[in-house]
Amino acid sequence: MTKTSLFKKITLCGILLCIYISHVCAQDADTHSSGIYKELADTLGSVNVYGRRPLATRQALHGKELQALSTTSIADALKYFAGVQIKDYGGLGGLKTVNVRSLGAQHVGIYIDGIRVTNAQNGTVDLGKFSLSTMETVELYNANKLDDCQSASEYASGATVYLRTRRPVNDSLSAQLRVASFGTYMAKANMQFARKGWCGFVDIEGLTSAGDYPFRYKSEFEDTIGHRDNSDIKYGRIEGALFKDGFSSHIYYYYSERGCPGGIVRRLSDKYTNVGREWDGDFFTQMSYNWQAGNHRFKVNAKYTNEYLRYCTDYPENQNTAKVNNHYRQEDIYGAACYSWRPWHWMALSASYDIRYSKLNADLKHFDTVHRTDQKQVAALQINWRGMQLAASLLHQHYKDYTQTHTGAADPLDRFTPSISLGYTLKSLTLRAWHKKIFRAPTLNDLYYTQAGNRNLKPEYTKQWNIGAEWHYSSPHWNASIQADGYINKIENRIVCLPLKGTYTWSMMNYGYTYCRGLNATGNVRHSIRDWNFSLLTSLTWQRDLDRTDPDGDIYNKPICYSPTLSYGITGIVAWRRLSLTVSDLHVSERMWSYADPEDVLKPYNNIDIKLSYLHTVAKKTDIGICLEVNDLLDEQYEHIPRYPMPGRNYKLTLSLSL
Amino acid sequence: MRKSIFTLILAVMTHMAMAQEKIILLNEGNWQADNGRISYFENGTVVSNQWFRDINGYKLGDTPNDIIQVNDNLIAIAINWSNIVQFIKPNGEAVAATEDVPNNRKLASDGRHVYISSYGHECGTVDGMKEFTKGYVAKIDINTFKVVAATEVGYEPEGIAYYKGHLFVANTGGYAFQEDHEYETTVSILDAETMTLVRNVDTHQINLYGKMSQSGKYLCINSPGDYYDIQAAAIIFDCDKALEGDDDCFVTLPYAATYNCTTRDGKFLAIGSRYSYYTGEYQFNYITIDPDEVMMSDGASGVEESLPGTVLEDIKKISMPYGIYVNPYTGYIYATDAGEFVSGGALYQWSPEGQLLGKHKVYINPAHFLSLPPDGHFTGIEDITSEKQDDGYMHDLHGRRVTTPQPGHIYIKNGKKVLK
Repeated sequence: MTKTSLFKKITLCGILLCIYISHVCAQDADTHSSGIYKELADTLGSVNVYGRRPLATRQALHGKELQALSTTSIADALKYFAGVQIKDYGGLGGLKTVNVRSLGAQHVGIYIDGIRVTNAQNGTVDLGKFSLSTMETVELYNANKLDDCQSASEYASGATVYLRTRRPVNDSLSAQLRVASFGTYMAKANMQFARKGWCGFVDIEGLTSAGDYPFRYKSEFEDTIGHRDNSDIKYGRIEGALFKDGFSSHIYYYYSERGCPGGIVRRLSDKYTNVGREWDGDFFTQMSYNWQAGNHRFKVNAKYTNEYLRYCTDYPENQNTAKVNNHYRQEDIYGAACYSWRPWHWMALSASYDIRYSKLNADLKHFDTVHRTDQKQVAALQINWRGMQLAASLLHQHYKDYTQTHTGAADPLDRFTPSISLGYTLKSLTLRAWHKKIFRAPTLNDLYYTQAGNRNLKPEYTKQWNIGAEWHYSSPHWNASIQADGYINKIENRIVCLPLKGTYTWSMMNYGYTYCRGLNATGNVRHSIRDWNFSLLTSLTWQRDLDRTDPDGDIYNKPICYSPTLSYGITGIVAWRRLSLTVSDLHVSERMWSYADPEDVLKPYNNIDIKLSYLHTVAKKTDIGICLEVNDLLDEQYEHIPRYPMPGRNYKLTLSLSL
Repeated sequence: MRKSIFTLILAVMTHMAMAQEKIILLNEGNWQADNGRISYFENGTVVSNQWFRDINGYKLGDTPNDIIQVNDNLIAIAINWSNIVQFIKPNGEAVAATEDVPNNRKLASDGRHVYISSYGHECGTVDGMKEFTKGYVAKIDINTFKVVAATEVGYEPEGIAYYKGHLFVANTGGYAFQEDHEYETTVSILDAETMTLVRNVDTHQINLYGKMSQSGKYLCINSPGDYYDIQAAAIIFDCDKALEGDDDCFVTLPYAATYNCTTRDGKFLAIGSRYSYYTGEYQFNYITIDPDEVMMSDGASGVEESLPGTVLEDIKKISMPYGIYVNPYTGYIYATDAGEFVSGGALYQWSPEGQLLGKHKVYINPAHFLSLPPDGHFTGIEDITSEKQDDGYMHDLHGRRVTTPQPGHIYIKNGKKVLK
């Protein structure tokens, strides 16, 4: 980045700031939740509850800390956790998925209020679609959450991300306006209420971004400077939730249009473009009810999902590549019933049954509608006796597909998988060990996609072993915690798309065995004195992720591509009254992207983000907030995927008003 | 003692033979990763796996797809996803590059022009931008590196060969499973001089995709089928008969010829597999095709399921065959292995008799070969003139200088066709 362009950016930012301040003052606009401090108190309350159950390997961000981080989506928040790798094709609308402890994105289950977000088509959830503004807590559990009344599908993924929706405690109206680099404008409004035991909210958000960020590739062999093309995004999201005691419900709709930019390759000019664009329409509605009768607990969940995806490359300006215009429609109906019984205070037994029906339609050639039923049952036991803890579960899954597609339906899949956790707590120290075996079923794309699908695929298994320790300290002014977990993961029969020998065609195959050893550690310290609050949050991941596919192959025992050995995050938050400053640094070490040449590596990078926010009370119950963020302060040019540059330094200015 | 002298002499002879080996190998790299590379192999060793970059100081581009020698001083490379036709001298120096033929595929030449197939629908010509509904063939003048003519053929034309003033273009219709048209089944014949369509020959086989090799009047064309109901096939195509207007100018063989090449005695070697998405099963074949015999017997004979020496056994051990080639000057046999999908590929070399000589590490997806003449006398690009043809040397139809002409083949000497 040259000095001139930095100067321009600062100037531009200053101008925008002035425009925005005047704009907001003129409009006497809306806002941000005044209830944030009350909610924070609630959140901390719930944290303590979880703190008494440290058997699961858990990391969480909640309330004020979640807001203090420079995050716009769930993916941004998760990157602060140990063991998490984000895959991001860059561009503002780029697909963002998370990979936990190298298990692969499809082994990470995303749950909103305990109900899994699914995608039968490709099994991956784009985390960019979920907003943090309606969330109270983002938690990551390796293996299981270990609640005493969990649905079977909560046991069915290698790692689980829980998003807990915020339950409002007062009535308020709030609005936010944001302007950010690369022609990004965002507006958001939230209306919430809490009365007579009922509470709920409606949250609306819209964003448009040109996403035309500058990038530079500079090496001995090139000096390529350009702007990202076709990386724009527009989206709208509206969601609402309603709660009362054990009842919770959520309704959500998201619509987007985005460009899908390609890799930056040698071209003589920008004469020919290859424009791929994508439209999404995602709708879901879900509800959950749980109640307790004596030592019996019951829970029922229900969800309906409808997803639409269109991918198109058929444009007048796109004359020289394949012209595609495909539409995919998915529907999904889900129901679950859970029961747990606590015969003694130290023991809980539970059983749960889940059923899901999915349907996928697409206008691909050689394709016909696919229907899938997916049933799961789990039996689980939890014991907590004098500091000794045990949790064990046995999960049964049954998948069956129905289709008239050319190749016919895959054979039904029927498997049992166990998991077991042991722990011992002595004062503020807990030691734990757990093992989990789980698989991911081949997705409908894996099995039936035209000219790639393979109906003979076997499930991809993961086996995880973990030992760890956790320590807490708490006093009126100080709060500290440290946890460290060492782990071994094995993945068998990876489902990958491979070229077939001697054919010029590709197919999904079971190929690959990986062996991963790693260490995750987190350490957090919080100190509060008078009007000051200090937090220091750190996370560290060290891992060796090795290929163990072919003992005779050249790459046997070599590190898996894209897997960094070391990554860490350090975040400091300083708050004085209602002024808060957050500085965070995320580091990811060098990783290879091919085995062909030692120079095929992605450079290590440090991402430094700064966020400064201030909340000012202008009248009774009326707050105005202003927030300035600088992401990638050092303007490091980095990539997650070779030739897909990430945006460098960028700015965000957000104004909020709450009544 | 006598034995060791004999061994020594053999070693010296082998070395002399090796010294004639000059192979340029295109590594396709990964699509959209801008890592197409050239390996240069000489005297039994890989001189460089980033030869173009070493010489020119910049990268080649994304997915190089074909390479031919145009004349003594000029080589053309089709770099598909970069939309570039790159011209280099035989010493690797870049001469010119054009982006007038986007989504370019395969190359042919008559020594004065480069003909190139394209899946695209736009072509920048000297008469302005031309647009086509289907795919096209462009004619590039090597004095100006400009497209002087472009003609529509079928959808997604792939293999292209020059023979007796005509271009033979294998149409694939390869985007059929995404776009609103069917697979193609035709070979388009163009008059190279006027760039007009002479006729389309219907082979009744879909998707004529893959490497297309030429041996005199014969072409070896692969049809991978649709991987569902239609099986792969190999087509032996007689260009002379086709020019005479005979519809019976080809024979279809029940083999796949995904990767194929021409031998010095005018046969074709082919590796391929017939795959079905129903069963997920492959059926491999490794064959030597004698096109005269195949045409004469109407396919009843002329195909042997064998390759010279140990080539077949060795290739079976390769994890991912990705190309096969015979050096037309020396007869040395080469094959590439794309390896374990993310690792670098390998280049295998055999003697003309099929004795494995070595395995060399190259780069990702090594696929397309070109041999340089063993005498290695190169001159500058500015020397290219029509008189250059009258040098007394024999050239084959690709404009390559031939030191050992084969009986029954057509060559060019002093600008005239001669039958040896």
